[in-house]
Amino acid sequence: MAHDIDIRGLTKSFGSHAVLHGIDLRIGEGEFVGLMGPNGAGKSTLIKILAGVHGNYGGELRFGGERVPSLAGRDDVGFIHQDLGLVDDMSIVDNLRLGEAPLRRLGPLLHHGREARAAADALALVGLERSVDTPVGALSPGEKTLVAVARLLARGARVLVVDEATSTLSPADAQQLIDSLKRTTAEGATVIMVSHKLSEILRVCDRIVVVLDGRLVEDRPAEGLDHDGLVELLVAHEVDGHPGGEREPARPGEELVRLEGAVAGRAGPVDLVVHAGEVVGLTGLAGSGLHDVAFLAHGSAVPDRGRVVRPPSATTALVPPYRERQGGFDEHSIARNLTISALPRWRAPWRLLRTGVERRDARDVVGRLDVRPGDPERAYGDLSGGNKQKVVFGRALLRDPRLYVLCEPTRGVDVQTRREIYRLIDELRSGGAGVLVVTSDFEDLVAVADRMSVVVDGRVGPFLVADDMSAKDLEAFI
Amino acid sequence: MRNIDPSTGGAATAPDPAPVPPPEPAAIRRMLSSDGFRASVTFIAFLALFAVYAVWLGDSFMTTDGRLLDVHQNAPVLLLGLAVLVTLIAGQFDLSVASMATLTTFLAIGLKVNQDWPFLLVIVACLGIGVIGGLLNGFLVVRLRVNTFIATLATGGIFLGLSSVYSKGTQLSPTEGDPPIPGWFSGPDSLGAFGNKVPSVVAWIVIALLVLWAFTAVRSRRPERFAEGAWAGIAAGIVAVATAVLLVVGAGGFVEGMSWTILLLLVVGLGLWTLITQMTYGRHLHATGANPEAARLAGVRTERVTVQAFVIGGVLAALAGIVLAANQGSASPDVAAGYLLPAFAAAFLSTVVLSSGRFTVPGTIIGGTFLVWVSQGLIVGGLEFTWNEVVNGVVLAVAVAFSTVFRKDGR
Ligand SMILES: Nc1ncnc2c1ncn2[C@@H]1O[C@H](COP(=O)(O)OP(=O)(O)OP(=O)(O)O)[C@@H](O)[C@H]1O
Ligand SMILES: [Mg+2]
Repeated sequence: MAHDIDIRGLTKSFGSHAVLHGIDLRIGEGEFVGLMGPNGAGKSTLIKILAGVHGNYGGELRFGGERVPSLAGRDDVGFIHQDLGLVDDMSIVDNLRLGEAPLRRLGPLLHHGREARAAADALALVGLERSVDTPVGALSPGEKTLVAVARLLARGARVLVVDEATSTLSPADAQQLIDSLKRTTAEGATVIMVSHKLSEILRVCDRIVVVLDGRLVEDRPAEGLDHDGLVELLVAHEVDGHPGGEREPARPGEELVRLEGAVAGRAGPVDLVVHAGEVVGLTGLAGSGLHDVAFLAHGSAVPDRGRVVRPPSATTALVPPYRERQGGFDEHSIARNLTISALPRWRAPWRLLRTGVERRDARDVVGRLDVRPGDPERAYGDLSGGNKQKVVFGRALLRDPRLYVLCEPTRGVDVQTRREIYRLIDELRSGGAGVLVVTSDFEDLVAVADRMSVVVDGRVGPFLVADDMSAKDLEAFI
Repeated sequence: MRNIDPSTGGAATAPDPAPVPPPEPAAIRRMLSSDGFRASVTFIAFLALFAVYAVWLGDSFMTTDGRLLDVHQNAPVLLLGLAVLVTLIAGQFDLSVASMATLTTFLAIGLKVNQDWPFLLVIVACLGIGVIGGLLNGFLVVRLRVNTFIATLATGGIFLGLSSVYSKGTQLSPTEGDPPIPGWFSGPDSLGAFGNKVPSVVAWIVIALLVLWAFTAVRSRRPERFAEGAWAGIAAGIVAVATAVLLVVGAGGFVEGMSWTILLLLVVGLGLWTLITQMTYGRHLHATGANPEAARLAGVRTERVTVQAFVIGGVLAALAGIVLAANQGSASPDVAAGYLLPAFAAAFLSTVVLSSGRFTVPGTIIGGTFLVWVSQGLIVGGLEFTWNEVVNGVVLAVAVAFSTVFRKDGR
C-alpha cells in the first residue's frame, strides 16, 4: 500500500563502529509499532536513518513499494523528536502555519479567520482543547508535543515516528499524547514509537519490536503480553539482572539540607529537610516548580526569599532534569564529562591535574555503569540517550557528595539500567549519603524513596512513608 | 525471497552494479579515516604548500633566519591570537585586544619618556592596565549581561581613545633629552631586537621542553588498539624522528636564531597550554564554553571563569603591546589595529591545525606562523605587500572550509 514501510538488510557504521547489523522490518498501514531495546541498541540510529539524518548506510528502504533514500522531506511522514521545533513566543495558530503557504485574503493580507479555523481543526485531531491564540510558551510540555503532532497531521502525515517524546512528559501528558497517537492509527495512520516505558507500550502498541545490539531479536504482536511478560521479553535478551533484594529500613542521620520557606523560580515557599542515610522522593506535574525545589536543595539556585541551610560539610551533586540541554558537553570526551565536577580529586602539587589517575578513575566508572561504547575518550555527544544519562549519573558519583539531588534519574534508560540505578541509589543510602529524588516517574519513587511527597503549585505537600505504597496509590494521591 | 524479479529480467535490463573499485589496502584506509590523520590534514596541506614555495622560491624563502624573523616580528600578533583564544574557549569574543595592545604600547613608551617612571614599574603598570581592562570586559559581559561583541567593541573604543588622549593623537617616539628607554628593552642589542639572540643553552632547554611537550601530546592521543606502554614507545619514536628531521631540514638554525621575543612567545605559550590543558581552570574554561548551563549545574562557577578568561586575555593583550613597544621603540596611533583579523585568524586556524574542532594554544602559534609564512612567500615571490590582508582572509577561509569538508566525510 501507499504508506508501507519496508526496511531491508539495513546496516550502519560510524567509522569502524558498527551499530546496525542488518535490520529487516516491514510495517503496514495502520500499525502502531513499539520499538524497544536497551540503551545503545540502535533505535535512534534506525530512526535517524529514516529521517535522513544519517546517510551512508547499507541495505535499502522502500516506502509504498518504491525505493527511497530516506523518508525525509515528505508531507506524509512526520518525525517527533524531543526538540519540537516550535517557537515559544508565537501562538498555536502561528506555529501551525510556520513554513506553510499563508492563507491569503487579498494580496499580502492574511486571512486570519481561515487560519484560525484550520488550526482549530488540527487541534481537534489530537484532542487538544486550547484556544488557538494561546502562546505556545504557556503550554505544558505535553501540550506542546500535541501541537507538534497536530502540525504534522495538518500537513497530511500518515506515518508518525516518535523517538522517546514521552520521556520528558508527566505521566498524564504522556498518556494524552499516546492516546491521541492511537486515535490516528484508528484512522489508518501508522505510528512507530520508541519508548522505555513499558506501560505506555502495552497501552497502545499492536506490535512490539525489540532491537538488541543492532539486530532485531523479537517481533511479535502485543496481544497477550502483560507487564511481566514484556519485562521478560526485554530482559531475556540481556545479561541477568540484579534481583532487587529487601531494602533495609532507613536510618536517617544528621541534617544535610534544610529549606525554610525558600522561594525561587516557580517553587516556594518550600519547607523540606533531607537527612543523611535516607532517600526523599518528590513528584509532581510539569510546571509545578518541581525542579526548582531540586535546584534549591542542590544550591544551583539561590532563594529569592526564605533560607536554605546546609552544614559546611554537606557537599552536593546534581543530576539535572533536562539531559539534552543541561546534561553535558557534546564535543568533549566521556571522561571529561565524568570528571568535571570532581577535579580537585586529581589535583597534584602546583595545581596540576594527575591526568593518568583521572583517566583511570573515569574508566572505572564507565565500567561500573556499563556505559557503551566503553571507551572514555569517545565523544559524549555520540552516545545514545540512555548512555548519556549514565554518564551524568556517573559524574555525580565521582563527586562523592553527602547529598545527591537526582532529577529524573531513570529518564531514557533501559529496563536493566533502571534496576542498576535503583540498586546504586540504595547503595548510596547505605553508604550514609542523603538522596533527594525528584521525578515525574512514580516507579522511581516506589522503588527507592523512604518518604515521598507531591509538589503542587510550588509547594511541597505532606510526606507519606513509603512502606506499602504502590504506584497506583500514589497516582490516586495526586 | 531470492527469485529473480521478472520485470527486470527482460529487455530493459537493470544497470549492472558499478564495478567494484579495487580494495584499498586496509592499513591505508584505516590511516586515512583515523582521527589523527583528519586532525592533521590541514597541517599537512600547509607543509605541502611550503614545499611548493621551496621549489619555486628556493633559498630566498627557505632560510631559517628569514622565517624566524617573521615569527619575531609577528610575536605581538601571535600573543593577541592567544589572548582571543582564551576568551573564545569560554565562548566569548574579545574584540578589544588590539586596542588594548595599542594603549599599552603608548604607555610603555610614554610613561618612561614623558613621566620618567622606573621602567619595571612601567611594565607592571601596563600589565595592570591589562587586568583592569579584562575586569571591565568581564563585568560588562557577566554582570551586566551586555552582548560580548558590543561590550568589547565599546571597551576597545575606550582603550583606543585613551591612547590617543594620552598621546594627543600623535606619534610618540623618544627624542634627545627625554628620559631614555632602557637599552635592554628596545633598540639594537636589546631584548626586543632580532639580532640579539638567546644563549644557545636556553634555546636547547626550550627545544627539550618542546620535544617533551610534543611527546605528551602525542601520547595522550592513543588510539584504542594500542596498549598504554606500547603507545608510549611509539609516541617517543614519532617525536624522535620528527625532531631529527626538523634538525636536519634546517631547524638547527633555530638554536642560533632564537631571539628573546621568540623565547617570550614560546614561554607564554607553554604556560598558557599548561593552564588550559593540565589544570582545573582549563577544564572549567572548556566546560563553560561548551555548555554554560550544564557547566553551572555541574558545579563550575561559570561567571568567575568567564571573568578570569577576560582578565587573562587582557593581560596577554597588554603584553603584546609591550612587545610591540620593544620591537619598534616608538608608538604610533593605532599601531595594532591591523592585528585583530590575523589574531582571530590564528585562533580559528588552531581549530583545524592538528586539532579537530578545538581551540588550542600550539595550533594558534603554528597556525598564526603559517599564515605569515604563506603571505611572506608570496611577497618574496613578487606580490605587493599590500595584498597581505587579502591573503590572510583567503587562507583562513580556505583552511577552515577545507578541513570542515574533510571531517564531514566521515559521517
Ligand atoms: N553520531 C554518532 N557517532 C558515533 N557513534 C554513534 C553516533 N550516534 C550513535 N552512535 C552509537 O550508536 C549506538 C546506538 O545508538 P542509538 O542512539 O541508536 O541507541 P538507542 O537505541 O537509541 O539507545 P537509547 O535507548 O539509549 O536512546 C551507540 O553505541 C552510540 O554510541
Ligand atoms: Mg535513543
